[in-house]
Amino acid sequence: MNRNTGPQMSRRNMLAALGLAGAAAASVPILSSCGVGGKASLPNGSDSVTGGFDWKKASGSTINILQTPHPYQLSYQPLLKEFTELTGITVNVDLVPEADYFTKLNTELAGGSGKHDAFMLGAYFIWQYGPPGWIENLDPWLKNSSATNADYDFDDIFDGLRTSTRWDFTLGNPLGTGGQWAIPWGFENNVVAYNKAYFDQRGIKKLPDRLDDFIQLAVDLTDRSENRYGISTRGSKSWATIHPGFMALHTRVGAVDYTFNGSDLIAEIFFVKDTATTEKWIEMQHKAGPTSWTTYDYPNATGDLGDGKAMMVFDADSATYPKNKPGASKEAGNLAWYPGPAGADGNYKTNLWTWSWAMSANSRNKLPAWLFIQWATGKDSMNKAVQGGKYADPVRKSVFDTTFKKVAADQFGYLETFETIIGQSRIQFTPQKKFFDTTQNWAVALQDIYGGDDAASRLRSLAKTNTSKVNL
Amino acid sequence: MTTQTDKATATSPDQQPSAPRRALPEVPSWRRKLRPYLLSIPALVIVIGILYPFVVGAYYAFLNYAAVNPDPHFIWFNNFKSVLGDQVFWQSVKVTAIFAVVATTVETVLGVGLALLLNRSSIIGKIFEKVLILPLMIAPVIAGVIWKLMFNPQFGILNHVLGLGNTFDWLSGSHALWSVILVDLWIFTPFVAILVLAGMRSLPKEPFEASEVDGASWFYMFRKLMLPMLWPYILVAVIFRFMDNLKVFDHIYVLTAGGPGVATRTLQIGAFEDSIINLDYSRGSTYMLLLWIIVFITARYLVSVLGKAQRRAAGAES
Repeated sequence: MNRNTGPQMSRRNMLAALGLAGAAAASVPILSSCGVGGKASLPNGSDSVTGGFDWKKASGSTINILQTPHPYQLSYQPLLKEFTELTGITVNVDLVPEADYFTKLNTELAGGSGKHDAFMLGAYFIWQYGPPGWIENLDPWLKNSSATNADYDFDDIFDGLRTSTRWDFTLGNPLGTGGQWAIPWGFENNVVAYNKAYFDQRGIKKLPDRLDDFIQLAVDLTDRSENRYGISTRGSKSWATIHPGFMALHTRVGAVDYTFNGSDLIAEIFFVKDTATTEKWIEMQHKAGPTSWTTYDYPNATGDLGDGKAMMVFDADSATYPKNKPGASKEAGNLAWYPGPAGADGNYKTNLWTWSWAMSANSRNKLPAWLFIQWATGKDSMNKAVQGGKYADPVRKSVFDTTFKKVAADQFGYLETFETIIGQSRIQFTPQKKFFDTTQNWAVALQDIYGGDDAASRLRSLAKTNTSKVNL
Repeated sequence: MTTQTDKATATSPDQQPSAPRRALPEVPSWRRKLRPYLLSIPALVIVIGILYPFVVGAYYAFLNYAAVNPDPHFIWFNNFKSVLGDQVFWQSVKVTAIFAVVATTVETVLGVGLALLLNRSSIIGKIFEKVLILPLMIAPVIAGVIWKLMFNPQFGILNHVLGLGNTFDWLSGSHALWSVILVDLWIFTPFVAILVLAGMRSLPKEPFEASEVDGASWFYMFRKLMLPMLWPYILVAVIFRFMDNLKVFDHIYVLTAGGPGVATRTLQIGAFEDSIINLDYSRGSTYMLLLWIIVFITARYLVSVLGKAQRRAAGAES
C-alpha cells in the first residue's frame, strides 16, 4: 500500500488550520467580553446624599442633558440660567430632532457611555429602557429628604401621570407598580382640535358625539378641489400612529389591546368592536383624510390644521395648542377643542403621552442630575414656563388650576375639554417590553387595511403575530 | 563571506569593469526574518478592523441578545428558524430582489444610453456631462428629502407638472416601491453613465475606423464592436450597483420608512427596525447575516462573470 497517495496536508496548511482553530476558540471568550450582556450600571447614589436639603449641594458641577426641540424645551430654555444661579450647576444641552431622537438615545444608552446625565423620555420607553437597567429608579431620590426639597410635592402631579411612569416590568402587572423611572414634565391628551372659524362660517354648532356622525362631518367638510379635507391624523409606519386619536377611539368603544391569562398576554385586537372601529377609521382616512396619510406624522397633521387645509385633527392637544398663538400659523386664533366622539356609555377615555425626565443609570453626576430633574418638574419653573404661552399641558394640578387657566382662558374649549377628560386620561396600552415592535406591527396592519386588505383577517393575523412576540 | 562588490568584480573578467557598488550594511538575520511580519502589521490591523464587527455580528445571530434580555445565552439556529419562518422576512427578500433587479437593469440601460449620447463631442454634451454628476454629489438621505417634497400630493411639483391633481399619492399603496426605485434611478444612473463613458473613451479607435470604411452601420458597430469591448466596464457598473441596491437603506427610509405596510421594507430596513428601533440585536444580526450571504453569493457569481467577460474582451476566450 502506497502511503503517499491521497490528499496530503503540508506543514504550511497544518499551521494555517491550527491558527484558524485557535482563533475560533479564542474568539468565544473575546466576544463574550465585547459588550454582550451590557455594561454594569453605576450605583443609584441617593443614599450617599445626607444632611439637610440644599440646592447648592452640587455647586460647581456640570451636567449634560439630551432634549428634542419641542414647545416644552423651548419654554424651559430661557429658564436654564435661573437653574444655574439657584444651584451653581452648569447645564450643557444637546438637541436632536424628534424623528431621530430615540434612535440616538437607544444607541447611546445601549453603549452605556453615560454621556447624558438626564434626558427627555416618553413613558412607553420606560418599558424598553428599564429592564436592561439603563435608567435610574428615582423613587429613592424622591424619598430622600436630603436630596429632595420639602416643597417639591410629588403628589401634585396628576395621578394618571405618576402611574404611567411607574412599572415593575412584570408581564401582566399594571402600571403604577414598581420603580418611579421618570418624572412627568409635560403631557398631552389626545382630543379633537378644529377650525372654529370655518365651522362658524358653515353654521356648524353641534359637535358630533358619535363616531358615525363624526366621520360624516369630516366627509362633509372635505373638498379636495379646494385643497381642504375633514380630518387629519397620523398614518405613518410607526407605533406613534396608534397612540393618539386611534387609541383614544379604540378605548372609548371598550376595546383592549391585550388580556392576561395568568401567564401570557393575549392580543385582543381582532374582536368585532375593534374590527368595526378600525374599518370606520380607515374609511374616514380614505374619504376625509390627507391623501398621503401613510406618511403622516404629527407635524404634518397639526401643520395642515394650522395652514387651513385640515378642518379637524385628532391628536395631542399640546401639539395643536401652540398653533393657535398669534403669528404661529395661518389659522392662529381660529382653533378650538372638544373631546371628540364619546364611547357608547358616554366615556371620554383618552390615551396620554408624557414627556418626562429620566436619569441615566451610567451618569457620573447623579446628584446634580436629580437636582435638575427636581427643578424642571417643580412648581416654580413650571409656572414660569407656562407663562411663556407655548407650554401645554402642565403636569401639576396646582399649575393647571392657577397659571395655566389664566394663560389658556382665551383658547376656546381647551380648558373644558381638559377637565372633561383628565379623570379618564392615562396610558391605555397594556405595558409590555415589546411595545414598539408590536405597536408598529399594528400601524403596518392599518396601512395594509388602508391599502385594501380585509380588516378582520388582517387584524386576526396581527393578533396572532403580536401574541407570539409579546410573550417571548 | 563574499560581498556583492566582490561578486561583481569576480564574475566576468572579459567585461568592462563596472563602477564599484557601495557595499550594503549587513542586516542581522533576526531583523531580516522579522521585517516581513512588521510590514504585514498594517494589513493585519485593517483585516481585524474589518472582520471584528462582522464576527461580532455573526456571533450575535446565535444569541438571544436584546435590550430586554441583557444577559443572553447561545440559542444556536433559533433566530434563523424564527426569521426564515416569518412571512415579513420573505416579503423583505421579495422587495429587496425587485428593487435590486429593476433598479440595476434600468440604471444600466439608461446609463449606457446616456454614455452613448455624451460620447459625441459637443458643447451640449460637455455641459450635460457636468450636470449629470450633480445627483451623485447629493447624499441619498438628502435626495430622499428632496423627492419626498416633490412627491407630496398637495404641494409637490410632480403632481402639479404632470396634472395629477392633489389626490395622487406617489408613496402609498402599490406606487410606493416604484417611486423609491425612481429616486434611486435619479441618483445612480449618472454613476453608470460616467463609468461606461470612461470605458467608451478608452476603446481603441482603429476597429471602428476600419468598420466605417467597410460601410458598417452605427448599430452594427455598436452591437458587434463596442458592446463586446465595453462589456467589462458595464459589468463593473452592474456589480457596484447590484451590490449597493441589495443593501439599499437611506433614501427608502427617508421616503417611506419601509411602508406603507411592508411595501418597501428591504432587508436592511428590517435589520434596522429590529436592531435599532426594537433593540433586538440578535434578530437584527440574523437579518444582516442572511443579507450578507445573499450579497456574497451574488458577488461571487457576478465577479466570475466579469472575469470571463474580461478574458473574452481581451481575446483569450471565444
